[in-house]
Amino acid sequence: MKKSLYDYALKHGINRRSFVKGAASAGAIAAMSGGLSSIATSSFADGHSELRKAILKIPGVGAGSPGDADWQKVGEMCLGGTKERVKEGEFKGVELNFMGLDSLNLHNMLHRGFLKPWEKYTGAKINWIDLAQADYNARLQQSIATGTVDFDILQAGAPFEGDLGGKKLLSAMPDWVADQIDLGDYVGYLQAPTGTWDGVTHRISIDGDCHNFNYRTDYFENEELAAAWKAEGHSGNWEVPTTWQKVTEVTNFLKGKQHAGFPAYGYLDVQKGWGGFGFYFLGSIATAYAKHPDSPAFLFEPDTMKPMVNNPAWVRAIQDVLDRSGAQPPDQINADPGVTGFSQFLAGTGSMVSWWGDVGSNANTSDESLVQGNVGFDILPGSDDVYNWQTGKWETLASGPNYAPNMAYIGWGLYCMKTVDENSAKNKAAWSACSHIGGKDLSLWMSMYPSGFQPYRNSHFNVDEWVGAGYTEAFASDYLASEADSYNHPNAAIEPRIPGIFQYYSIAEDELSKIFAGQYDAQTGADNIAAAWDKITDQIGRESQIKLYKGSLGL
Amino acid sequence: MSEIKYIERDPLYVVAPSTVSQTTKRAGKIIVWSSFLLMVVIAIIQTLHSNERISFGFSNWRPVLYAYILWAVAIGYSRVLIYGERGKRNLFVFPAVMFIISIVIFPLLFGLYISFTDWNLSSIDGRKFNGLDNFYQMISDPYYWNALKNMIYYVLAVLVEFTIAFLLAILLNSQIRGRKFFRIAFLIPLMLSPVAVSWMVGKSMLEQRFGPVASFARWLGWDTPTFFSNPVIAKLTMMCMDAWTFIPLMIIMLLAGLQALPKEVLEAAKVDGANKWTLFKNIIFPIMLPVSLTTLVIRIIFKLKLADIIIIVTAGGPGGATDSVTSFIVREYRDRSNVGYGTLLSFVYLIFIVILMTILIRFVNRWLQRAS
Repeated sequence: MKKSLYDYALKHGINRRSFVKGAASAGAIAAMSGGLSSIATSSFADGHSELRKAILKIPGVGAGSPGDADWQKVGEMCLGGTKERVKEGEFKGVELNFMGLDSLNLHNMLHRGFLKPWEKYTGAKINWIDLAQADYNARLQQSIATGTVDFDILQAGAPFEGDLGGKKLLSAMPDWVADQIDLGDYVGYLQAPTGTWDGVTHRISIDGDCHNFNYRTDYFENEELAAAWKAEGHSGNWEVPTTWQKVTEVTNFLKGKQHAGFPAYGYLDVQKGWGGFGFYFLGSIATAYAKHPDSPAFLFEPDTMKPMVNNPAWVRAIQDVLDRSGAQPPDQINADPGVTGFSQFLAGTGSMVSWWGDVGSNANTSDESLVQGNVGFDILPGSDDVYNWQTGKWETLASGPNYAPNMAYIGWGLYCMKTVDENSAKNKAAWSACSHIGGKDLSLWMSMYPSGFQPYRNSHFNVDEWVGAGYTEAFASDYLASEADSYNHPNAAIEPRIPGIFQYYSIAEDELSKIFAGQYDAQTGADNIAAAWDKITDQIGRESQIKLYKGSLGL
Repeated sequence: MSEIKYIERDPLYVVAPSTVSQTTKRAGKIIVWSSFLLMVVIAIIQTLHSNERISFGFSNWRPVLYAYILWAVAIGYSRVLIYGERGKRNLFVFPAVMFIISIVIFPLLFGLYISFTDWNLSSIDGRKFNGLDNFYQMISDPYYWNALKNMIYYVLAVLVEFTIAFLLAILLNSQIRGRKFFRIAFLIPLMLSPVAVSWMVGKSMLEQRFGPVASFARWLGWDTPTFFSNPVIAKLTMMCMDAWTFIPLMIIMLLAGLQALPKEVLEAAKVDGANKWTLFKNIIFPIMLPVSLTTLVIRIIFKLKLADIIIIVTAGGPGGATDSVTSFIVREYRDRSNVGYGTLLSFVYLIFIVILMTILIRFVNRWLQRAS
């Protein structure tokens, strides 16, 4: 979404949550050509609406977690795009190796089900390579570096485009694919240059990643807590915090209190590594302090690749975690992001957490969720002041708190490797398989049910469709608004697509672990991270990293 | 009948004359050297091609492998041509020698070379020789030394494990009710994969909120039973989980030793009035010494490789308190794609283990000699 449209919406009193709320908002949004509603409306008019309604009832929200039979059924029903372009049995004899994730029993588990009817129709055979989240980076890097690319289709995040594109390992997307998947339907930040390398498109998005803010509505409706908040002399009402300063205040306030008969906890800080992915959770705090609206950079200084991780903004974010550590659930220091989001928050421990959209899509559809009907959503909290790395000063913005939603990982996508270019049948088969998974209708189903993927197309933000699937309007509006507002935020912190990005995150996780264990203070630890990052940059090649970093920032 | 006579005349059943003509010898040398030359030429071409020095070459390294196999076959054939019967006898050992060279020696030498290179998998420039830089980095790497320090604690824990294993082995060796059941039951942890142990025990039974061990600890009066938050408790918990898995291995070995004890000596001691403690101290323990020391050495070797449960349960935390050398190397190699440095760390650790084990085995031998 363009910033002018965003500003227009805000100016006319459309707040984040009401922005995509059904009919009432639709009139206002319809005035903005290219807005969410117009695309959503067209999605209903394009003949797919009945199909979309039908697949969204499989199994239906509230009917338990979907399984393989459901995935196959959805895959079968969404074969229309394939059948238009591929003859039955056309790929007989073609074998494709598909490498993806198996974390949380999602991702590749779903891909298998979706592609079974596709395999049956086309005659192609898919061999699966499943990887645990923590093993993913290593396996991919080894394949790239040693030239042993033994997969034809790869599930990867945009941050790896630096590694894959830089070594010319990717197949170019044919035009018919762009047409089948309706590339123009992607939300703005997933449009080019994301998914492209040297101007060539390589990616079919199947996810749109950002961290949003998930909170327990029942905590903030608890009158006893509200009374205690007032009694202790805190400023403002007992309400969902919208700045990190308030998040810390609320978290420390809840220490030792009870909610619904259980110990109450505030914001759940991730303090344990997750193969590099844990660093995003510090990033989601730090972006509010470190991502100044005047500059797209927040991890490195663009001209020198000097790490910013030890500047006052990042150190303040680390200090926030330390300041809240006394109010965390026991053993939180040993809770990785998966445990924090799924075993803790969705299982009822804690009142606030930053995570990808999975918390929202699992809250009402997963058998493991104990917080159904009690979860609200927002964009990540902001900060009352923001650090300007160019001037070296903290600033208070005239517009109010600084918000900078963290586009953590920029979403999973499917990439066809150069190996598929060896013959036209293999090329077409590989791209057809990816197009099937990344299709417009099937992707809507994935964004609503546990899949590991969150909404990423403009057409995913139609509240009516979510209500049709069984979500309440309030939940769908709230959740979708938190996602859309993050993607479309003018000060969104977009991760750089540079080689080795997870190496930086991994070493940072090691150092953060020591800081959180009390071995050194925030500044010392941050300085250690910065020194380690400089070493990695020199090892990979500073000049090439600067060039790629600037390119990914659009500088 | 004629064949029997032949064997009687030559028990070694010489199937070829031992004298080889100079022409055949020359042919053998030509075959082996020409195949070697072919392999070298193909390897050089492929190296230059993959370094983009020349335009022609192969799309992959398989031709070099085929040339290597051809060379290996040629060596075997040439042994027969050059040395006749002696060469044929060599052929029995030759496949094993080639196998060890291909699978052990070559990778080891290649690994040694890699450990002296700066090789980050994300580097566009690829691998670069950097001499002893990796070694100097290791010297000043606090994570490596922290992990080594942790390993000292982990290895010392073997003594406690040994004591428990010895007691349990004695128990299982005695005439107790349900002996067979307990012998099998005690073995179950050893049969479980470390991944299963990590999830079942580390992440489920020890889970702070609903884990049965945590609930039991709460029942005993521990308000917030957390097993991985405090560095000392986390290390102890890790030791317990590892011990739970490997004590059965020690029990098996010690039980085998106990069952092989000479019955007549034990009975004689009992007749002479030895009580249970005297029997253990003066008869059982000294006789069991060789088995005990072997058990300890094997267990220490296993302990030095400790990694999987750490990686899964704590990732080395909190703050490196549970890190082992292997789990640190895995992080350096796997998560940070730092192949050169990771390989050097592995080599140094290998050398360290070899030295430690050599000293330990010598010490054990001397002790045994003195005891005997």
